[in-house]
Amino acid sequence: MERKFDIELNKLNERLVLMSQLIQKQVSMTLEALVECDVPLSKQVVANDSEIDDLDVKIDKLCQRIFALQQPVASDLRFIMSALKINNDLERMGDLSVFIAKRVSTVSDFKEIINELKINELTEKVDKIVKDTCMIIETRRTVFVKDIFDQAQVIKEESRLISSRMIEQMMEKSDVILVATNLVQILGQIERMAAYSKNIAESVYFIVEGKIVKHTQFL
Amino acid sequence: MKEIKIKIKDLTLHYGQKLALNNICLEIPDRRVTALIGPSGCGKSTFLRTLNRMNDLIPSARISGEVLIDELNIYDRNIDVVNLRKRVGMVFQKSNPFSKSIYENVAYGPRINGINERKVLDEIVETSLKRAAIWNEVKDRLRDSALGLSGGQQQRLCIARTLSVNPDVILMDEPASALDPLSTSKIEELIHQLKEQYTIVIVTHNMQQAARVSDYTAFFYLGELIEFGKTKTIFTNPTIKQTEDYITGRFG
Ligand SMILES: Nc1ncnc2c1ncn2[C@@H]1O[C@H](COP(=O)(O)OP(=O)(O)OP(=O)(O)O)[C@@H](O)[C@H]1O
Ligand SMILES: [Mg+2]
Repeated sequence: MERKFDIELNKLNERLVLMSQLIQKQVSMTLEALVECDVPLSKQVVANDSEIDDLDVKIDKLCQRIFALQQPVASDLRFIMSALKINNDLERMGDLSVFIAKRVSTVSDFKEIINELKINELTEKVDKIVKDTCMIIETRRTVFVKDIFDQAQVIKEESRLISSRMIEQMMEKSDVILVATNLVQILGQIERMAAYSKNIAESVYFIVEGKIVKHTQFL
Repeated sequence: MKEIKIKIKDLTLHYGQKLALNNICLEIPDRRVTALIGPSGCGKSTFLRTLNRMNDLIPSARISGEVLIDELNIYDRNIDVVNLRKRVGMVFQKSNPFSKSIYENVAYGPRINGINERKVLDEIVETSLKRAAIWNEVKDRLRDSALGLSGGQQQRLCIARTLSVNPDVILMDEPASALDPLSTSKIEELIHQLKEQYTIVIVTHNMQQAARVSDYTAFFYLGELIEFGKTKTIFTNPTIKQTEDYITGRFG
């Protein structure tokens, strides 16, 4: 039976999917600006952020309204609770994009270092995890959850490895200290992006299965 | 899990040819609130009435199976039904005070049980009204007619009347469905207090009420017990799809 309530839930779902698409675009533009040292593109990312903030507020308000007026239970409750968290995680990924985009100009004169460290290989992985995350928000295909967890782990390890190589370079050549510091910070944010993807995958799993997988080793 | 107060085994009930309860098995925990939910006509009231043999009063009703309260089958031949109904009190949807004074409404049961001493009756009336959270509102008008009370007050008076004979189980059939939100929340608060001493089984059509007041929830559909479990589980992650569809309003 179709409920009037389903209209609200569908609207929420649509907005969440839209949010995830905007974020995916933001992240991919940011990473491209970073590896291509494209400063104008990075400025575009910063300019896009207000649209994301507006949608973030809209989604929060819709969730609040549904909680107040519909008193959701069971799978409805799990969806709305999770929508709030996913929205929050997506919005944070947007903020991380802006953080990185704002630092692109501080590293854009050092393309050789970026190439040498193969940062593009890392950013491709981040592009993929974010794309997969958006896919499971829309399709709720929980079979991909474990895979996203694994991808996040790989990204974490690789970004830390690159950071430690950066730090080694800093100790050898004092003229790279500034760019290296900025890159280490950027890598930290990239690692956090993957962590947010993992959070979102956990939330999707909770919507579908009703089980909490965070803080536990995935089965 | 808590101790079990009422154990229902293979309980089946027919009204004439009509099957109203089909092979119900359920264990109701002691001093907890168990809510019965389900669509109209699924057998909630019928089931509730089997717990103090109120269905005995319906000539067409035929029952098989067992209901054990404290391990004793209440359908055994040698069970004293009057005594049983003292132990298992009932509160109905429509409050039904007698057209007597507030005092006499509460003293009625104890009087029937042979208590006549004024001091003892006074005490029973006072404690029952206090337990039913209505004492402060009526203590200065105990001799007034009970019919002059508001609907919400009448319902709490009926609860006091039930408490006056010292039951250990209280059955409630939609006790707040005719009440405004404030009276409803008073009844819910009261249920919360009463469960420290009594085992409570409540029928309600209000899902939020079931979620708020109960520790365990039983979902009935077409005379069958579909799912029984902790209320927090039923309302966050029920096991059976029919339960999910019912509590989320997708039924039908
Ligand atoms: N005295 C009776 N004689 C014959 N059939 C009855 C009698 N009482 C109830 N029934 C039937 O038994 C079934 C269960 O009724 P019951 O009153 O237990 O349902 P319920 O779940 O309490 O419904 P509601 O939510 O509307 O109060 C219904 O089909 C009803 O018509
Ligand atoms: Mg009924």
